[in-house]
Amino acid sequence: MARSRWGTDPVVTPARSSVGEAFRAFLGRRPTDVDQPFPFSHNIHLSKGATCTDCHTGVETGPRAGLPGINTCMICHSQIATDRPLIQQITKMSEEGRDLNWNRVYSYFPESHVRFEHAPHIRAKVECSNCHGNQVEQTVARRAVDMDMQFCVNCHKQKRASNDCLTCHY
Amino acid sequence: MDRRHFIKLTAITGTTAALTACGNPENQVIRFIPEEDLVAGVATWKPSICPLCSAGCGVIARVMEGDAEVFRKGQAGVIRMGLAKKLEGNPEDPISQGKLCARGQAAIQITYHPDRIGNPKKRSGERGSGEFVDISWEEAIKELTGKLNELAAANDHASLALITKPARNRRFALIADLLQRFGARAPVAYELFSDEVLRQANASSFGSQQLPTFDLENARYVISFGADFLGTWNSSVAHSAAYGRMRQGRGNARAKFVHVGARLSQTAASADEFVACKPGTEGLLALAIAGDEAPQDVSERTGVAAGTIERLKQEFAAHRPAIAIIGGAALAHSNGSQQAAAVNRLNHAAKALDQPGGLSFVPQSNVVASRPLQEILEAPPKVLLVDDVNPVFASPAAWKVADALKRVPFIVSLGSFIDETSALADLILPDHSFLESWVDAAPESGSAKAASSAFGPVMRPLYDTRSTPDVLLEISRGLAKPIAGLPNSFEEFLNAERSGGTSIPPAGAAKATPLQWSEPVFDGDASQYPYHFLPYASQTLYDGSLAHLPWLQETPDPMTSAMWCSWVEINERKAEELGIHQGDIIELTSTQGSVRAPAFLNPGIAPDAVAMPVGQGHTNFTRYASGRGVNPISILAPVTTAETGTLAWSATRVKITRVSGPDESLILFAGATRERPEWTHGRGDT
Repeated sequence: MARSRWGTDPVVTPARSSVGEAFRAFLGRRPTDVDQPFPFSHNIHLSKGATCTDCHTGVETGPRAGLPGINTCMICHSQIATDRPLIQQITKMSEEGRDLNWNRVYSYFPESHVRFEHAPHIRAKVECSNCHGNQVEQTVARRAVDMDMQFCVNCHKQKRASNDCLTCHY
Repeated sequence: MDRRHFIKLTAITGTTAALTACGNPENQVIRFIPEEDLVAGVATWKPSICPLCSAGCGVIARVMEGDAEVFRKGQAGVIRMGLAKKLEGNPEDPISQGKLCARGQAAIQITYHPDRIGNPKKRSGERGSGEFVDISWEEAIKELTGKLNELAAANDHASLALITKPARNRRFALIADLLQRFGARAPVAYELFSDEVLRQANASSFGSQQLPTFDLENARYVISFGADFLGTWNSSVAHSAAYGRMRQGRGNARAKFVHVGARLSQTAASADEFVACKPGTEGLLALAIAGDEAPQDVSERTGVAAGTIERLKQEFAAHRPAIAIIGGAALAHSNGSQQAAAVNRLNHAAKALDQPGGLSFVPQSNVVASRPLQEILEAPPKVLLVDDVNPVFASPAAWKVADALKRVPFIVSLGSFIDETSALADLILPDHSFLESWVDAAPESGSAKAASSAFGPVMRPLYDTRSTPDVLLEISRGLAKPIAGLPNSFEEFLNAERSGGTSIPPAGAAKATPLQWSEPVFDGDASQYPYHFLPYASQTLYDGSLAHLPWLQETPDPMTSAMWCSWVEINERKAEELGIHQGDIIELTSTQGSVRAPAFLNPGIAPDAVAMPVGQGHTNFTRYASGRGVNPISILAPVTTAETGTLAWSATRVKITRVSGPDESLILFAGATRERPEWTHGRGDT
């Protein structure tokens, strides 16, 4: 998102879930680390040969990549690494019918009226790491890239994609 | 401590308290595992049927994944599930043809209503106190089964009764079948704006006991007698679509539409010509247009100039195809059957039956006998099941429905909301919303082709509710003497009995019996109660059963722009004569009681009539409807139409008294206009 000359958010709005969040948003800061209900490790999974699309299944087909639910975990972990305490923890949750309550890492401020669709970007061969950083180096996902409007526009210029306002703001 | 320190300290403690509350509460929420596979961000459209009126419009619901607060296994939490987000008309449906009315659009709010009953309840306080405790389905079903077993043991099967809305679908047929197999009598069907008078009249005029389907699209001349067919009457979505084509879809062949009535309704406002006529004499006018009565003879009785009648007669005779429509207020008179027969005679004269641009009757299956409400008022049953119908609200106070229900030892409500009737229940077994259950429809009219449809649930249930037909099936199987040979579920029943319409005998020829016209009878002496009282179906709240949906409360009435309130429409010249201004509170008194509501000055109503929309005045019907406005049904006199025994809701006379100036209770969407600066928000004399 474009910032004011002082680097603060151009829009001041009380529409935040907490005072702290409103204050951080005003300063244009967004948390790099997000609390997650479970210490999922991206690097272990990627090093074992899993790919992004194995779990974020919507990325090639729809607008949203999707945060995987516990059922996705159990596809493999009903058999793999069942002796590990963390895996036993999610197995128990799954048996109780409870899902993982992931918190989003990347999102836009609602007042910027941006819509983003994953699928066309994947079709244009944009690497996941372009926008989400190198997940091999991350455990739980951290906000590695600050996706402001400049970031989007630069890439659209390079790839000769449309920079019409209505491409993203509608 | 001085003032400055106090303010500082308050600011510090306040901020600290606010910041402590700024945790991330979502981490504490229980999140259940989704029960279905969903593609994130992709919408699908699933078919269903609008349940709000008997038209049976096919709808499609936009279903997309989302987080919903639900109850699962007795626990509250969040689940990602497919949620219905928007309703539209189903383009494949012959009734709705891809269109939907404002009421249908709002039907989605039933599912997500904050006051929807989410689990079975049992009365804990005095009857009518509205105090209930939550119980499990097992306990609830056991309790009802116990009561039915008691009836069966005493060989008193006929003391079970069920009251519902009239319908011609498989759901109604299944319920009637279960009652019959138990040994009880047919279901009681009640609806305030019942069309039974017209069905009976059509049975004797055309040999078809059902509502007609009009081919408006191909008609050249349409005359409507009181029927709000573009708004609330019969299949209004199908009518509106066909009306659009009649007006614009045929090049220069634009048909003429004449509306006859005492009040300028939304339909009347669409007409080329509005003919104001005295209430209850529409049929007489029809006879004159048909040539059975001399225009000069009926002119004084109908209040329509002889010249106008003569012209209408000539126009109607000169244009073919022509249709005459009667419905709504014109039938709600003591002489409703004769009114309908007179208009049917006009259709015979135009040879409209089964002709392009005329009227027809679609083949019907599923026509199941029902009983009138009066039967349970006279002899209250011992166990009464109430299926989403509210006769306590939608019947005149003189019928004393609430008193009759209080004499019923055990009442079970199957509805989704606490209303005036279900507040009297001993047990509440909440049904799924229509989007969560199997639904079916076999519309009686609206499409020249017979259309019968059944659809599965659009989404999974949000709460611990159960589909009423399935609950009744389960109870029937669990009786001490179980009913044998039942389908396992409503779904199985619908799929097993999938059949086309069975044709009814072809419509009979015109009957030559002379029509015995009788003058309408009104309650209240004309000298003491000088005004005709014309309640009408609200464009949004219909008969009051939709007053709980906030979108409909918020939708401005198309003729007055009023919302969230009751109002009384009064002729503006008459009001001036009486010293009544826009928004003044006036009292309407009939022989049965009185109501107070703000006045709305209307040039489109007869000087000797006042009109009120039905719908408001609920005492106990969710947060949006309770305590809002007044109920005009309550002051109706118990006049009935002789042949059918249905309520003649246009046959009451009232007197008017100005009570006070405006009190801001008239809420209008439209502001003042340059021509009428006095039409402001409830401030008539500013």
